[in-house]
Amino acid sequence: MKEKFDRGTALSIFKSDRYEDFVALILASVAALLVYIYI
Amino acid sequence: MIYTKKTPWTLVLGIIMVAYAYMVQAGIMEPVIKYLHTSKLVGEMVMLGYVCGGVAVLAGLLQAFTTPKQGNFDYYLSAVGGLAFILVVAFIVKWVLDPQMGAWGKAAAGALGFNFAKVMNLNYVVMGIVAGIITVNVFKIPEWAENGVRMSRLGLKTGVILLGVLYSWEELRNLAGLSVVLIGFFVLGSVGLTLWMGARRNIPNSMSGVLSAGLGVCGVSAAVAAAPVVQAKSTEIAYTIGTILLWGVMCMFLFPIIGKQLGMNYTQFGAWAGTGILNSAQVAGAALAFQPTGIETLKVAEIFNITRILFLPIIVLWLAVWYVKREQTGDRVNLGQVIFAKFPLFVLGFILMFVLGSTGIFAPAQHYKGKYFDNSEKAMVKTDKDGKVHDKRLKDADAEKLKSEMDKIQREDQKAALARLIAEKKVMAPDHDTVLRGIVNSKILSKEATDILKKQHEAVYHTAKKIKMFRTLIVWFFAFGLTGLGMQITMASIKQAGGQPLVIGSVVGAVKAVGSLIVVMLFVTEIV
Repeated sequence: MKEKFDRGTALSIFKSDRYEDFVALILASVAALLVYIYI
Repeated sequence: MIYTKKTPWTLVLGIIMVAYAYMVQAGIMEPVIKYLHTSKLVGEMVMLGYVCGGVAVLAGLLQAFTTPKQGNFDYYLSAVGGLAFILVVAFIVKWVLDPQMGAWGKAAAGALGFNFAKVMNLNYVVMGIVAGIITVNVFKIPEWAENGVRMSRLGLKTGVILLGVLYSWEELRNLAGLSVVLIGFFVLGSVGLTLWMGARRNIPNSMSGVLSAGLGVCGVSAAVAAAPVVQAKSTEIAYTIGTILLWGVMCMFLFPIIGKQLGMNYTQFGAWAGTGILNSAQVAGAALAFQPTGIETLKVAEIFNITRILFLPIIVLWLAVWYVKREQTGDRVNLGQVIFAKFPLFVLGFILMFVLGSTGIFAPAQHYKGKYFDNSEKAMVKTDKDGKVHDKRLKDADAEKLKSEMDKIQREDQKAALARLIAEKKVMAPDHDTVLRGIVNSKILSKEATDILKKQHEAVYHTAKKIKMFRTLIVWFFAFGLTGLGMQITMASIKQAGGQPLVIGSVVGAVKAVGSLIVVMLFVTEIV
């Protein structure tokens, strides 16, 4: 699996679970902010 | 290395999405929407078409007309094509295939004697995952889409974080105790059983360790998290992932069918799926497949799933101590370091969203499950765009019907509540509504009178607009994640399962699935 993707893993584009969690947190916060402002 | 491929497909997919949103907005798609009965989905078709299509068009233009330079921008830009690819598949499944399959199921019910779409649970979740599996195993994922497909887990995690907004203190309080007891028992039990079986069958400690984390906690992520502390080899991780995927996929398709056959309610099924299914992603898949038109089951299942994810640092610590003892390496385990390194950050995000939701910024503070009480004239009497007035207050004819059935009620508080409704023409307070719901649940009135009471309940309870939007977003993050997840389930990865890990995995997986089913059916009865 590592041979095919030299960054991240076969399951994720991110270098670690923690990094993926962090990006998910940012994405969710942005979505929540947009809902709060526009809806 | 340059990751962005010179491909027109990102741009093409973006244009298709934007064009579709425009055609829906302009009414060109109305005959199709009418035929498929999808008028309720028009809002999300327009919003998602423009937003996702717009992003794909922009990225497509960058991919087609600029020369990428090595770096993070190039890396993440290369993923947009795959995101658009998954979304288009998910759009087709949810907006076309799902309603069409429902219509075919109904049409064939006369000839077959049963609705095959319902019996086989062919809704957008199951079909999205199947579409993903077919795409990757029959047609292969195009090279320009590969990086995007690896972002599907990000969609699932974002969905779980946003789900935090929808819980109320009351629900969490009701679920927390139950989930800690049930999950604690099954997580610790599965890890213990796997380690015991591993020792009996003489497999290496590293193999037992990584397998026990995967089977006991939350699947692939747990196996990967535990691998370094037990010094697992990549082949052992591959065996574990293969076993978990095999069991997870099987359970994802079977659990909803069994749940429906057993007549389980949302709470029971959510508790069972969150406890008995090995891998986190498949828990969400099974919960949404069981209840595709709502997210109550998903909410219960995710609380159980999050509870077991919270066990991850504890299990990793246990395995670290266990491994050091078994191998007698003489190393010392740093308790704080292990817990900090293995704590899943997205669970903190979930808690953060729950706290934000509890402050009342997304819905009135007194909301319960996103619904809040409002019986003011502004909320009860509305005028539509054609100038027609819709008055939801109790009509005189309905009041007469209720009066005529008053004698059927024995309890004084219920009699008084009904009399108050007839006098005031509306439900006056949440407590008043609770007593009236008691009359509905006791089924003492005729169907006509019961329907009048139900209508009055719906007239005073409103879903907050922001909460409605959160529900739509959450469903789409999961639909995206699960379709992408299907595209990661390759036959090659499932074939990795084999030998002793498969035997142990099958025993532990079966014990966990059946054991949790029995416990849930015996002890979980209330609808939370």
